[in-house]
Amino acid sequence: MSFSALVANETKLQVYEMKQYWFETVSSLVMMCAVFAGLFYGVKSFTTPGDGATSLDGLVFGFLLWIFALSAYSSITKSLVEDNQKGFLEQLFLCPQGITQLMLARALVEMLWSMVFVTLLAWITMALTGNWIDLNFFYFYLLMFISSLSLIGLGFIVCGLALNFKKVGTVAALFNIAFMGLVAIDALPLNVFTLLPFTAGASLSRDILLQNEPLNLTHLAIVATNSVVYLTVGIYLFRRLVKRAKRLNLIGQY
Amino acid sequence: MLSVSQLGKSYGDQQALQDVSFELAPGERVALLGANGSGKTTTINSICRLLEWQQGTICFEQQDITKSTDYMRHIGAVLGGCRNVNWRLTASQNAEYFARLHGTSKKQALKTITKLEEQLGLAQYAKREVGKLSTGNKQKAALLSALAHQPKLLLLDEPTLGLDSQTVDELQNIIIEQSNRLNQGFLITSHDMAFIEKICTRVIVLDKGKVIYSGDITALKEQLYHFEMRLTLSQPDNARLNGHLEELWPNHAQLSSEDDQIIVQYDSPEQAFATVNWLAQQAIIPLDLSINPLSVETAYRTLLSREVNP
Repeated sequence: MSFSALVANETKLQVYEMKQYWFETVSSLVMMCAVFAGLFYGVKSFTTPGDGATSLDGLVFGFLLWIFALSAYSSITKSLVEDNQKGFLEQLFLCPQGITQLMLARALVEMLWSMVFVTLLAWITMALTGNWIDLNFFYFYLLMFISSLSLIGLGFIVCGLALNFKKVGTVAALFNIAFMGLVAIDALPLNVFTLLPFTAGASLSRDILLQNEPLNLTHLAIVATNSVVYLTVGIYLFRRLVKRAKRLNLIGQY
Repeated sequence: MLSVSQLGKSYGDQQALQDVSFELAPGERVALLGANGSGKTTTINSICRLLEWQQGTICFEQQDITKSTDYMRHIGAVLGGCRNVNWRLTASQNAEYFARLHGTSKKQALKTITKLEEQLGLAQYAKREVGKLSTGNKQKAALLSALAHQPKLLLLDEPTLGLDSQTVDELQNIIIEQSNRLNQGFLITSHDMAFIEKICTRVIVLDKGKVIYSGDITALKEQLYHFEMRLTLSQPDNARLNGHLEELWPNHAQLSSEDDQIIVQYDSPEQAFATVNWLAQQAIIPLDLSINPLSVETAYRTLLSREVNP
C-alpha cells in the first residue's frame, strides 16, 4: 500500500468518525468560537482606541496560529493515546507499512482537516467579532504546513513516551499551554527562541500576513530547517521508544 | 508456513519463553495451551512482532519475519478480545479500514466483508457502532476485522472470552470453514478446552515458558488419565487406606488428596476394582465414592501438575 493510499484510508476513517459523531464535530467548532469570542471581547475591553485594531488583529491571528499548532501536535498524540486506551493500538502495529508511516499519514490527514476547520473558524470568528483581517490563506497554510512539521516531531516523542509510560496527560497538558507562548514569541531574525519548535514559522507568518512584509527566503530556510530537525529527531526518538516498548512487552498494555 | 524455532525471551531474571519451537502448516488449526503466565500471549505477540525476543527465530514461508517486509500483509490477529477494534465505527467500517490497511483493494474488501458479515450474523447490526454491540458481537466484529483481508495466518488470543455457548459454536464453524476453504492457518490460545478439542487438530502445551507437549490432540488425550475416583472415608479408615494406596494403584495412576477426599486419576475402568475390593474386604463403608470420566480440561491440568511433580 502506497503512502497516498494510507492517507486516503485515514481520510475515510476521519469521515466515518466525523459523520458518526457529528454532534461532537459541530459542538467542538461552536465551543472554539465561543472561547474565542470571550477572549476577543475581553481584550477589546482593555485596549485603548489607538492600539485597538493592531491588538485585535494580533489576537485573531494568534488564536488561529494556536489552534493550528494544537491540531498539528495532537494529530498523532491524541489518536495514539486514545487508541492505546481503547486497546486497538496493537492492530495499528500490524500495519504492513509500519507504525511510523501510518502515524505520518494520520498527521497529514489531521492537518488537512485542521486547515478546513481553521478556515471555517477564522471566518466565523471574524464575522462574530466584526474584526476582519485580510488573510492570505495560501501563504498562511503554506507556512503553517512547513512549520507544524516540528510539532509533529514533538508529537512523535510524546507518543513514544505514552507507549512506554502510558499516562502522559500532564506532559500533553503542559504542551497545550506552552503553545500559547510559542505562537507569541518573536523568533526572527535568528535568536535563541528560533531553536524552539514552531516559533520561527509563527513569526514568519506574522511578518508576512500581518505586517505585509515580503517573503524572506533566509527566514523560510530557518523555518524549514527547524521543522526538519524536530521531525527527524522526533521520529528517531519515537522509533527508539517503540523498540524499548517492544523489548519490555509494553505495546497495548494499558 | 510458520516456523518458530528455539524462541527465548526473558525479563531480567525471569524467563518468559525458553526454547519454544513449533511449526504450523497452511490450513492447520493449532492450539496454544497453558495456564496464566505460561507464555502463550508472549508467543503470540512475538509472532505479531509486538515484542522483541532475545533468542531464536520466527520464519514465515521460509523468511525470517524480522527481515520480511511483506509478512504483515499475511497475518491477522484478534488480541485481547473485543477491545481490538475501534468502538466508534461499525463492524464493517472497521473491517474495511483494516483490510485497506493491509493492502486489499476496496472491491475485494467489500465483497469479503459482506460475505463474512452474513456468516457471522453481523449483517443485522450493520449500522450500529461496535461500542453498542453485545460482547459476543464485539468479538465477532474483531474477528471480522482480522479476516477481512483474508490473511494466510490468523492468531487468535482467547477468542471465546465472554462468549455464550451459541456464539462459541458459531465461531467454531467459521474458523473451520475458513481454514478448510481458504487454507488459512490458525494459532489459537484459549482456556476453553471444549472449544479447542472441537476445532484444533494439534496442540502445543506451554508451562513456565517451555513447551511440555506438542502434537496430536488425540495422542495428548492418550497420554492423559481418563477416569477419576473420589473417596471420602472416616478419619481412621482414611489413614488405613492411605497406607495401601501405592499397593492398590501400582501402575498408571496419580494420587492426591483434597478436603479429606482421596483422589485417584487412572487409565481404565477396571483399575478401580482393586480398591473397591479392598474396601469390601476391610468392611469399610465410604462416606462418599464417585467414579467419573475426566473432561479433557481436567485431564490437561493433570499434565501440567505432572510437570510440577513428575
